[in-house]
Amino acid sequence: MDQALQHLVNGTVLGGTYALLGIGLTLIFGVMRVVNFTHGELYAFGAYMAYGLVALLRLDFYLSLLLAALLGAALGAVIERVLLRPLRGADIDSVMLAMIGAALVIQNAQMWAWGGVAKLVPSPFAGTPLILGPVSVLPLRLFVFGVACALLLGFWLMLERTRAGIALRATFQDPETAALMGVRVGLVGTATFAIGSGLAAAAGALLGPVFMVSPTMGDLVGLKAFAIVILGGLGNLPGAVIGGFALGYVEEFGGGFLSTEYRDAFGFLLIILVLALRPQGLVALKERVG
Amino acid sequence: MSALFGWGFVAVMAALPLAFPDPYALAVLTSAGIFIIGAISLNLLLGYTGQLSLGHAAFFGLGAYASALASLGFDVGLGFGLRLRLDPQPVFVGFLAAIVVAGLFGWLLGRLAFRIRGAYFVVVTICFAQVLRMISLNWVELTQGPMALVGIPPFALWLPGQGVVELVAKSQTYWLVLGVGVLAFLIVRQIVRSRIGRALVALRENETLARSVGIRVTHYLVIATVVSAGIAGAAGSLFAHYVRIVDPDVFLFIYTVTMVIMVITGGKGTLWGPVVGGLIFGLLPDLLRGTARPEAQWIAYGIAMILLVMFLPRGIVPAAGALFARLRPGPRAVPSGTPAREAAE
Amino acid sequence: MLTRRTTLKTGLLSGLALPALSRAVRAADPIKIGMTQPLTGVVAASGNYVANGAKIAVDVLNRAGGVLGAPIQLVLEDNKSNPREAVAAVEKLVLRDRVPALIGAWSSTFTLAILPKLMEYKVPMVVETSSAARITTSGNPYVFRIAPTSEMEAIGFAELVDKYSPAIRKIDFLSVNNDFGRGATEKYGAILGAKGIPTGRVETMTPEATDLSAQLTALRQSDGDTVFVTTGVEQLTLAMRQAIEQRLNKRIVSTGGSFPDALIHQPLPGGARSDHVLFYAPWFPEQALHPELARAYTEEWNKHGWEFAGLTEGFRGYDAVLTVAEAIRLAGRAESEAIREAMWKVNIPGVNGNIRFQKEGPAGRESGQNQPNVYIVRLADGKTSLV
Repeated sequence: MDQALQHLVNGTVLGGTYALLGIGLTLIFGVMRVVNFTHGELYAFGAYMAYGLVALLRLDFYLSLLLAALLGAALGAVIERVLLRPLRGADIDSVMLAMIGAALVIQNAQMWAWGGVAKLVPSPFAGTPLILGPVSVLPLRLFVFGVACALLLGFWLMLERTRAGIALRATFQDPETAALMGVRVGLVGTATFAIGSGLAAAAGALLGPVFMVSPTMGDLVGLKAFAIVILGGLGNLPGAVIGGFALGYVEEFGGGFLSTEYRDAFGFLLIILVLALRPQGLVALKERVG
Repeated sequence: MSALFGWGFVAVMAALPLAFPDPYALAVLTSAGIFIIGAISLNLLLGYTGQLSLGHAAFFGLGAYASALASLGFDVGLGFGLRLRLDPQPVFVGFLAAIVVAGLFGWLLGRLAFRIRGAYFVVVTICFAQVLRMISLNWVELTQGPMALVGIPPFALWLPGQGVVELVAKSQTYWLVLGVGVLAFLIVRQIVRSRIGRALVALRENETLARSVGIRVTHYLVIATVVSAGIAGAAGSLFAHYVRIVDPDVFLFIYTVTMVIMVITGGKGTLWGPVVGGLIFGLLPDLLRGTARPEAQWIAYGIAMILLVMFLPRGIVPAAGALFARLRPGPRAVPSGTPAREAAE
Repeated sequence: MLTRRTTLKTGLLSGLALPALSRAVRAADPIKIGMTQPLTGVVAASGNYVANGAKIAVDVLNRAGGVLGAPIQLVLEDNKSNPREAVAAVEKLVLRDRVPALIGAWSSTFTLAILPKLMEYKVPMVVETSSAARITTSGNPYVFRIAPTSEMEAIGFAELVDKYSPAIRKIDFLSVNNDFGRGATEKYGAILGAKGIPTGRVETMTPEATDLSAQLTALRQSDGDTVFVTTGVEQLTLAMRQAIEQRLNKRIVSTGGSFPDALIHQPLPGGARSDHVLFYAPWFPEQALHPELARAYTEEWNKHGWEFAGLTEGFRGYDAVLTVAEAIRLAGRAESEAIREAMWKVNIPGVNGNIRFQKEGPAGRESGQNQPNVYIVRLADGKTSLV
């Protein structure tokens, strides 16, 4: 029973970051109909920026996390202007291939710049876990969970309450009508990609100190982001959050009770199952995509 | 592309080991050749059916493991007290096993994935390769996991007058790969020129229309996937008995990306595209090794892919063909760029 | 009298002789030593340390005049922490760069993959790190290992086991699931088992796993008091941090010579301690068998401003280069077969003790095995001490 509780806590904490990853990816798909293969690399970028700012420039930890996310957003905006804008209207395959090319460029640039050896990001949190009854959790992980929830909340508020958010949602639902209504669809596109990338970079910056930072860390994470988004349904925002937590729990419980080795595989097996049985995702949505 | 040019090219390639017996050069060409076969098979799916399958390394890897395991033999427990045993088989049995196993998974993927399209399909194909990688990494009893299958026997051919000859010299493996490559090319060409080929092009151009005139879209897609997977499996088998060591990283996405770059650069939907693209990207890393570090090369390949997709989406072969047609004197020929013509080529 | 025929014959003969001449290196041409290490990938930290050690050995030797009057050139190929790439790296080194001798390949799995190629191309290799027994017992006369086997390591540890108080009564293993990890589990389990210390639980992970919480939680359930961790530096660091997170509360001993250097700069909290089986302890150079050699090695390393803790593995590359250079010197020429024969005559001081090969494996096809020294270094609060 104790173990199950621990797994629940671990899964919740993990789920928070997964939800962050999923939201960014599904937003980009929902608004721009782009399958973003650079998402994993933005995650790694966020982690490397956090490392550089904290370990090399010795900036304040919290400031560095914020800066890393902002830098990620900036990189996302650049990718959108340089790659996606010219390719608007091209078929989905061409865009995917261009994104794969961009991912190659980013990953190898990071490998070149930082070298192949994994880096450790120092954090101001104590390394001893907090004991809450039968469960133990690192302060760092609690912080990560807290920030992830705050970001998700902030994002939701932006979507629901601000004009920019409404413009985003309008473009999400119907780009042509939105354009007719005066929404600057081009700007919305850049903003969307920037936000999505910023969220991925934030996830990377948050998890960098938990694990280690290496050039290929984005590979598996990028794939998991796809798993999350498919679980929730491509373009389904609440679905991505649910999918993120679902994956976190599946990995924790599956890894804990079924098999430690196949922990990472559960997500992919889940996708294949979901797509075979219920292609539109676990969470129903008015709009069918795909 | 006239048949004469094609066979002339093959003749030149076959004579290469006699003119340049340097084992390292032959090793590089053989390696490139194996990936060209992979690219030819991917082209059938990517270029002719228009489905962006990004899990091709799965079929390649399955072929490699199937062939290696068949020729090494194995003895695994399947749970519930069942054990599966196989004694070491001759290498050509492994080769056939590779084609069959890969083809089988191709059929599975076809049946599963073609109920969904677009982005979902792409992601499923990627996940497919990933799951296989994790299985091969963790099912240590069968695959040796990270310790890799080592000591894989080389190909052995029965030659008249010499009996069974093990192909270990670089020139021997080169000729074997060249032979299988030519065979793969011819098979794909035959399919493309047949009814199946026309149906595939029809569904690539306009799936709804194809369906409406009665073409059984899923049926043809599955056929294409099975053949594509089988050929990729054969390439995997060649790989296993050439490199003689197979590890789970053979399923990595980067190998799929390499084959995709070869097909896209050369020209998807053309027969010679994967060959041209394969020669370029198979040889470039080695030609550039003194001047550019690996990371710089991959950055260049990434940028090349982006530029190609933006400015030369058809690839090199059709662009060269169009250029050639324009330069040729005489009555203005229609540039060999329209899809219908490509399929009929 | 020079007829056309004699000229032709002489021309043909000299043409045939030229390749033979060019294989024997002329005086000023650099002598190449090939090396393959994991410079990228999951064990890149160690691979880079070893490669750096080799580089400074080459610098030191070249400053002293090189070998056989020629400078040494280290040709380095990355094996990307992958056995298949290791094989490809060796093929490049032998076929393309034509090196007469090799050093490699860090992990036992990569080295084992390379062994058939050594027989095929008849090139000797100095194994500087790999510990799996099979490497020197499978009848490959081209293998010369200067690193200890898992068994030697375990024996060395067993001699020091009584220093522990409270005593070690039952042990668990957390090992990476490749030849390196499995070899350590097997040998430490056997040697310590013979001393009356049984093995409790054995947990494994893939080389690239970053989340070991499941394994650590499982180990917590065991009644063993000491956990032996066998893996590369990166995973070792993660394991130790997560062990605190999962409240493992057992003694941790790492094997194989890896040292989690990052934990010196970012120490583990709460007075956590860990012990590390090493083959060179740079913080205690006076313990080395040849302190002047150790000092020279350390000074050269520090000139580059590299991570100090990297000295724990860099010496492997250093000693390996010294070994190959000595073999070339004894052979009198940079030619593979001569170097292989000369390896048996090598008897030089190294950073880790004396380097001399003993025969091991099936008669007639023995490999060479060296007997190095073992140290246990304790890490606590970012400080090191010798056990």
